[in-house]
Amino acid sequence: MAHDLIARFRRHDRTALARLVTLVARGESFPELDAMLAEDPAMKPRVVAVTGSGGVGKSSLVGRLLETIRQDGKTVAVLACDPQSPLSGGAILGDRFRMGSSIYDGLFIRSLAAVGGRGAVADHLPRLLRLLAHYGFEVVLIETVGAGQGDVAVQQAAEVVVLLVQPEAGDELQWEKAGILEIADVVVVNKGDLPGAEKTVAQVRGMLDLAHASPVAVLRASAKTGEGVPELWRHLQSLSPKVVPNRLNVSLLFDRVAEEAARRAAQLWSQHDAAVCEIVANWQEGRLAESAAVDALLNTLRSHPEA
Amino acid sequence: MSHPLRIVLAKVGLDGHDRGIKVVARALRDAGMHVIYPGLWLTPEAVVRTVADEDAEWLGLSLLSGAHMTLVPRVLQLLRDASLEHVGVMVGGIIPEADIPKLREMGVAKVFGPGTPLDEIVGFLREPRQVAHGS
Ligand SMILES: Nc1nc2c(ncn2[C@@H]2O[C@H](COP(=O)(O)OP(=O)(O)OP(=O)(O)O)[C@@H](O)[C@H]2O)c(=O)[nH]1
Ligand SMILES: [Mg+2]
Repeated sequence: MAHDLIARFRRHDRTALARLVTLVARGESFPELDAMLAEDPAMKPRVVAVTGSGGVGKSSLVGRLLETIRQDGKTVAVLACDPQSPLSGGAILGDRFRMGSSIYDGLFIRSLAAVGGRGAVADHLPRLLRLLAHYGFEVVLIETVGAGQGDVAVQQAAEVVVLLVQPEAGDELQWEKAGILEIADVVVVNKGDLPGAEKTVAQVRGMLDLAHASPVAVLRASAKTGEGVPELWRHLQSLSPKVVPNRLNVSLLFDRVAEEAARRAAQLWSQHDAAVCEIVANWQEGRLAESAAVDALLNTLRSHPEA
Repeated sequence: MSHPLRIVLAKVGLDGHDRGIKVVARALRDAGMHVIYPGLWLTPEAVVRTVADEDAEWLGLSLLSGAHMTLVPRVLQLLRDASLEHVGVMVGGIIPEADIPKLREMGVAKVFGPGTPLDEIVGFLREPRQVAHGS
């Protein structure tokens, strides 16, 4: 069954992909899956987090962006991390299903439960991204509200963080947002069709000049009219991966440590390695606490450099 | 360990009334389920595509337009074509009494008429699943 899932996944069976996304998002694992995820994917997708407060237009803009990306001939997976709305997915899809099926062949849209809450999808996001990479997606867009801890984890797993803001009525930028600006690699003033957008662009630039050393693009766009969306996509592509290596996945790196350790331990166990068998037996029979068993296993792995 | 049940709620057909389905969506979410609502005016193809990508265990179809005897079989057929016969299908909306057995025959697990208490829908989804449709 598990083996079959992986085989089907490798043949680009979408049902298998969907199932594996569920399993990985729940933190489940099994040896065939771990083995596949431990391989390096042939290609790494561009991973973009789209974040911003409720109602700013994240889903609408993601919808526009994925049209542009598909027209560009690239495949794209969308992960909507939506803690609140039971209507997740709807805003992204809108009436796009009428655009014709060629768009969908390279498109996968998935809503995930709360990033911070029960289920803690964010914990499993690095593995989820590896899974999507193995399937061959060229772009991954992640929508998060951008407030809680889970959102920060999502942003850390992404290569590029796009922060959406909208035109504000008053003179002052209302956002408690000076802080949140710092996580952004790109700021988009969405709802650019509304009055005040140009002023908001200027205000954001002003704040960034005060706060930031590195240049952060401030773009104006409208998910309603589509204006500015191709420019945004061009900009997202132009960001060289080198711009973001520091946030590019320390957590993914740590994840690899865990995966690699698990893989090697399992391999030694299956080869009936004496040291590993002894530790396991001691743990099973209660002579060794779990944490001590883990330490002992890690030490054993060190003395078997190429298990 | 149990996980939140994943259910797609969808309106197929041309009517634009989504109050009812949104009320059901909220109730199911409040009951701890993961509800995916892909929007209005969906084609059967789009619904099935969403069910597939979302790895849903259930599909709730809302129909008010009177086209249930054509749309429901179409959706069921597409589910089978996509090897999704394990997905349970329930139907809500204004369905004439006489059509209910026919829909059940086709493989619909349950038909809920207008005004069904929300608790009843939640309770139904919490029951252990027996059979999938199709065969
Ligand atoms: N005028 C205008 N309205 C927009 C634009 N983008 C989004 N909206 C509207 O803003 C509202 C919220 O849009 P969403 O895309 O659902 O926003 P969101 O940020 O995903 O919202 P949450 O997921 O609830 O946080 C909707 O009514 C949209 O139609 C835009 O560019 N211009
Ligand atoms: Mg949204």
